Amino acid sequence: MNGNTGKIINVDLDKGSIETEILPEEYYTKYIGGSGLAAKLFWERGNISADPLSPEAMLIFMNGPFAGLRLSGASRNSVAGRSPLTGNWGDSSCGGYFAPELRYAGYDGIIIKGKAGKPSIMLIEDEKINILPAPEYWGKGTDEANRAIKEKYGKNYRTLIIGPAGENLVKYAIILNEGHHAFGRAGFGAVMGSKNLKAIVVKASGKNMKLADPEKYEELRAELNPKIKEALASDVMRENGTAANLEGGVVSGDVPIKNFTSNYWEEMGQELNGGILTEKYLTKRRACAYCSIACKRVVEVKEGPYAIPEGPGPEYETITALGSLIGSMDLAAVCKAGRVCNDLGIDTISAGGTIAWAMEAFERGDITEKDTGGIKLLWGDMATVIDKILPEIAARKGSLGMLLAEGSLSAAVKTEKDTINYTVQSKGLEVPMHDPRGGGHGLALAYAVSPRGACHVASPMLFMEMGACFYPEIGFEYELEPMTDENKAETAVIAVALGAIENSACFCQFADREIAIPEWVGLFNSVAGYNWDAPDMMKAGTRVFYLKRLINYLFGRTAKDDALTPRILEPARDGEPEGVVINFEGMKNKFYELMGMDPVKGIPSRKKLEEYGMGVEAKKVWRET
Amino acid sequence: MEYWKDENEPIKAFVKLFEAAMVDDELTGGLKKVNQLILFDYTENGPNCSFWVDCRNGELKVGPGKPAEEPDMTMSLSADDAHRSWSNKLNPVMAITRKKIRVKGSATGLLKLAPKLKKVAAIYVTVLKDLGWEDKILA
Ligand code: SF4
Repeated sequence: MNGNTGKIINVDLDKGSIETEILPEEYYTKYIGGSGLAAKLFWERGNISADPLSPEAMLIFMNGPFAGLRLSGASRNSVAGRSPLTGNWGDSSCGGYFAPELRYAGYDGIIIKGKAGKPSIMLIEDEKINILPAPEYWGKGTDEANRAIKEKYGKNYRTLIIGPAGENLVKYAIILNEGHHAFGRAGFGAVMGSKNLKAIVVKASGKNMKLADPEKYEELRAELNPKIKEALASDVMRENGTAANLEGGVVSGDVPIKNFTSNYWEEMGQELNGGILTEKYLTKRRACAYCSIACKRVVEVKEGPYAIPEGPGPEYETITALGSLIGSMDLAAVCKAGRVCNDLGIDTISAGGTIAWAMEAFERGDITEKDTGGIKLLWGDMATVIDKILPEIAARKGSLGMLLAEGSLSAAVKTEKDTINYTVQSKGLEVPMHDPRGGGHGLALAYAVSPRGACHVASPMLFMEMGACFYPEIGFEYELEPMTDENKAETAVIAVALGAIENSACFCQFADREIAIPEWVGLFNSVAGYNWDAPDMMKAGTRVFYLKRLINYLFGRTAKDDALTPRILEPARDGEPEGVVINFEGMKNKFYELMGMDPVKGIPSRKKLEEYGMGVEAKKVWRET
Repeated sequence: MEYWKDENEPIKAFVKLFEAAMVDDELTGGLKKVNQLILFDYTENGPNCSFWVDCRNGELKVGPGKPAEEPDMTMSLSADDAHRSWSNKLNPVMAITRKKIRVKGSATGLLKLAPKLKKVAAIYVTVLKDLGWEDKILA
């Protein structure tokens, strides 16, 4: 096989068995890799009725075809399976350094089932794969565990590690690579924890890569790397990180404030933006493997109550989720809260979303000190967030920790009051830090139809609305007005396919914005030899989107679950989008129609599935008709 | 050109726009934060169709033509698109993606101005009125 190795590792922790397997090439040509290929494997082999935290649950790590090929942004990795947070299909992408090392070791992915008898790590050294008992790392923060593992095995061993939150099955626990790069969303850290697996460690001895057309690929790489590096957006992100334009986002009303109750807070924009982070706390810029953008931050807060030593710094989502969303504009506190989340192994977006919901519930009197174990939940009280709330969540300790450890939707249900209305989530996944009322109405549609729940990286809708994309070869050559529903359903049809391609190819959205459609096709053909044209590629993307919808359908999700909670759909109360209402149902209905999706079941029609070469899959979901 | 009768008109309007912006307290702060020497290059519409803004070291200066020193950033576009842009009728991200605007040098400073574009557009309307060019104002 070209590009991909074609080989995966199957681990059964119950039996202690480890086997390698060659996958059929058709899996790749139809589902690409990354989260698409993971979906295919889950569809074939997953136990739909298994609790995501049970031994039967499948945990899948999957590379894309470009891992390790020294192309900017192209060496990410996907984790996938059933999300413990939402109960639906879940996937999450991570940059860093794991994907190339796994590829060099000879594998495209890992499927893990079962549960180890005691806390363990998985060690991959080329063909030598072992599950090793490792109780010494259990209970440790990600930073300490990462250092200890590297000390024992070597600093070039690449690590995926969970923190105490994963061990304690917090439903939005993360998996961290090199103590910095996160599989952040959907709670796969808890799945790893449920399997008694503290870490996966990989080291390869060589770099054997077989490409379909190495010369053509090198030509493309030589064009694309400088193009990505020199792009304006790359320059801005390298300089000031992904929060570089936070102030502009505040002006347009895109940045959520206090649980999405406000769309404008001028001083916050001036305090939390990436330029200020650079000025005050940045010590180094960092990149994922082979990426010339280097948007990652290393920060140090030298003094004050939130002093932290030099280490990973926050990106836009963290700055906002642990800043404006919970009423803070204290950047030092945000840096510390982000660091604490990393070390405990908690997703900053879901943590911020859940705490913001709790703060509003406390303000309204829907939860009281009786529910929080005497902790007052006040907007912007970062000391309490850092010293009490986050540690209690990670430990599932005390009434507050127990209440918040399963996310905002679960917490709202537990209150037995009408508090779901002000959770801000879709399908149980907390909304990321772009408010569609100010960021672009199409984003509301993208959040709602995303298979994993509210997600800004499931498709490039955000970038398409802001004007950062131009793809005339596939019909996206028109301009969009972010604050209307005009052409948004049509755009979403393209966006879900492109998003599926990106996430299956494990390409970073920041880097691949610079790649034109013919270049995308050229990459797939020169690396993997698919012999695609643009329609073939788009078809593969749509197929991946459809398959994830089918998996969700088997989990009981239907069209009515493609919804947003009322907070996002009520008129914005202030700022640029004040009073504007999103025509959500109109966009959704049109999208369903264009995608050939059943308005009740929420899945593609049998005919549509057959058109996409998914006749076998169609039989499973349309058998009654 | 759709909006201008010759290459001097846009430069006259834009230099005046920056002169007006430089006495506005809010914009002065924003411009100083940019801290760059910027060349706005519209020479596709004529050899003298350019102007520069110097926001370095806490000072603010503007002038027609090319600056004496090497600019930190050059923005190249057509004078018509510049008119749309200062009127807040051109999505700058879209224009950059579609190569209507080409940027050379560090664009970080430019982002500091982005939140102020609405205010700039309001001043631009006043400038056009002062010049007796109401017909150029974009609705
Ligand atoms: S742009 Fe940033 S997140 Fe994306 S691959 Fe590069 S360094 Fe990683």
